[in-house]
Amino acid sequence: MRVLVVEDDKDLNRQLVGALADAGYAVDSASDGEEGYFLGDTEPYDIVILDIGLPKMDGISILEQWRRSDRKMPVIILTARDRWSDKVAGMDAGADDYLAKPFHMEELLARVRAQMRRASGHASSEIECGPLRLDTKSARVTCDGQQIKLTSHEYRLLAYLMHHNGRVVSRTELVEHLYEQDFDRDSNTIEVFIGRLRKKIPVDLIETVRGLGYRLSEKPGQA
Amino acid sequence: MRFNSLAFRLFTTAAAWTLLVLPIAGFIIYGLYRDDVQASFDGQLQKLVNAITVDSMGSAQGPPSPPANLYEPLFEVTHSGWYWQITPVDEPNARKLVSASLATASLPSPTAKNVAPDPSGARWMDAKGPAGEPLRLVEVIDTLGHEPDKPRYSIIVAGPADWLDHLVANFRYRLTTALALAGIGLVAVTLFQVRFGLLPLRQIEGGLAAIRSGAKTTLEGELPAEIEPLQSELNALIHSNQQIVDRARTQVGNLAHALKTPLAVILNEARGDKTGLGSKVAEQAQIMGSSITRYLDRARMATRTGVAGGVTPVAAVIEPLVRTLARIHQEKKVEIAVVCPPDARFQGERQDLEEMLGNLLDNACKWARRKVVLNVDVSPETTRTRRGKRLSITVADDGPGLTDEQRARIGKRGLRLDETKPGSGLGLSIVMDLAQSYRGSCELARSPNGGLAVHLELPAA
Repeated sequence: MRVLVVEDDKDLNRQLVGALADAGYAVDSASDGEEGYFLGDTEPYDIVILDIGLPKMDGISILEQWRRSDRKMPVIILTARDRWSDKVAGMDAGADDYLAKPFHMEELLARVRAQMRRASGHASSEIECGPLRLDTKSARVTCDGQQIKLTSHEYRLLAYLMHHNGRVVSRTELVEHLYEQDFDRDSNTIEVFIGRLRKKIPVDLIETVRGLGYRLSEKPGQA
Repeated sequence: MRFNSLAFRLFTTAAAWTLLVLPIAGFIIYGLYRDDVQASFDGQLQKLVNAITVDSMGSAQGPPSPPANLYEPLFEVTHSGWYWQITPVDEPNARKLVSASLATASLPSPTAKNVAPDPSGARWMDAKGPAGEPLRLVEVIDTLGHEPDKPRYSIIVAGPADWLDHLVANFRYRLTTALALAGIGLVAVTLFQVRFGLLPLRQIEGGLAAIRSGAKTTLEGELPAEIEPLQSELNALIHSNQQIVDRARTQVGNLAHALKTPLAVILNEARGDKTGLGSKVAEQAQIMGSSITRYLDRARMATRTGVAGGVTPVAAVIEPLVRTLARIHQEKKVEIAVVCPPDARFQGERQDLEEMLGNLLDNACKWARRKVVLNVDVSPETTRTRRGKRLSITVADDGPGLTDEQRARIGKRGLRLDETKPGSGLGLSIVMDLAQSYRGSCELARSPNGGLAVHLELPAA
């Protein structure tokens, strides 16, 4: 799951990046409007945390331009301007949620999870797939009630597949959504992580679709 | 027309002047006319007495003869009011001559009543005639043939004074009528002049009312040269006032932005720190955050001035709020039912109504199970309480609601009953502050479907 943070205050930017990375997201950040707009316009983010008052280009304009060019990722506006007219303007520009500063980091993370779920069509904070159960709140995965210990990269990969279970997910898509922008993108690493996941999960739920990618299905396939 | 008004001053001075001048003019005209008529009547009598004197007393021999010429036909008509009489002065027994009109009566002599002669020697007097009618008479004393040593005779000619009185009375009546009509006309014209002259001021009055009610933002219309500067100054004042308010708003917004971001940084940093210092800093930063929000709201309220208050259509505020809240609470699928008359208008700033309704609706959406009801009602002006139209707004949810004791406590600043629901806890108290600043009220009650109902009462436009 890739997150973009656009925030010009460098301390807050650092805190946001840190908290989101700790929660298991691949995080990119921008500290001015133009950079933020460019990243959001070119990279496939799963969610964007967007400040309104930004140098070079304000958040509302960025958001409007993204929506005009059909960029549909969920956007949470994070701003000190907490008037209802600001909120209305933000939501009308195409935001999905609005959080006023100062805020609790837990609240932001809860809203990020909620937007992720909403985007992938899941109603609760727990996603199930056969015997597998993903708790997005605590970032824990269990299989038949047994907790599976995963590294953060493994967790990201499994969480992405579970958010999109039943659908074939290509390697390119996985690379784009799981790693930060400046990460060394080698699609072979995906295969390595898939292999590790298959070892850690007792039942084989990850199906390799030749030439297309991977699919997580509820029924164990033939290995 | 009020007592203390320009119109009253102008009208009363003009009317008083008219009412003072017209009677004086009337008196003068009447006096002049009466003197003139009297003089011309006296002139006629004088002519007659002179003619009769010359005619009757022309010969120095013998007694005076009746005048050969009649001069005035009415001398022949009995008791006509026109009489002449020639009486000897020195010989009381001598024969006297009288006009036929006098019959057996005689005329009183001004000489006998010690009336002083005028420079021409004629004596004038008012008297009663034989039929009791008022007479004006003139007496001339002359001698036969105008010779000094001949016997003296008194020649009296009388004319009817009531004719004269009739003429003057008639004139007085017509003069009074004419002057009274002129007076009424002048007063009416004055009234019109005052109204017409002060029309631009009425226009300003109407314009100011329109500004106050928010229908207009400037004083409009083509005003006369004398008050045109007033209009432009007033417009400049309104404009600069609006600018000051806008600038203050912007500054407050900038201050909010400048303070809240660093505060967010401090809070996040402090919460990450597990030592005692961290929690202390977090606690204090939280208090600072609440204070900033509270006093920024206060400051923003204070910039609102009474000079040119706005008018806000309520429905136009509700619609975007409901749209936004439906998006924010998309997951819960809360239904927001709105009942609002299309002509409901709030007498105040749009932002303030947005804050009040936004906070109330947001709270209701957070707590509601499935439905939030927003009801707006406009109550008519009440003469009893001397208040204008009022807006009555109710936001009710079907959530868990509050106990009586909780409701009593919740209005207190910053209090949050449940820390599990997100929010700064300031929402409701900001609503209460705002309602109070508009001399309105905000009350909590139990809603019919179990949840909390908040009643707002605000001035309507």
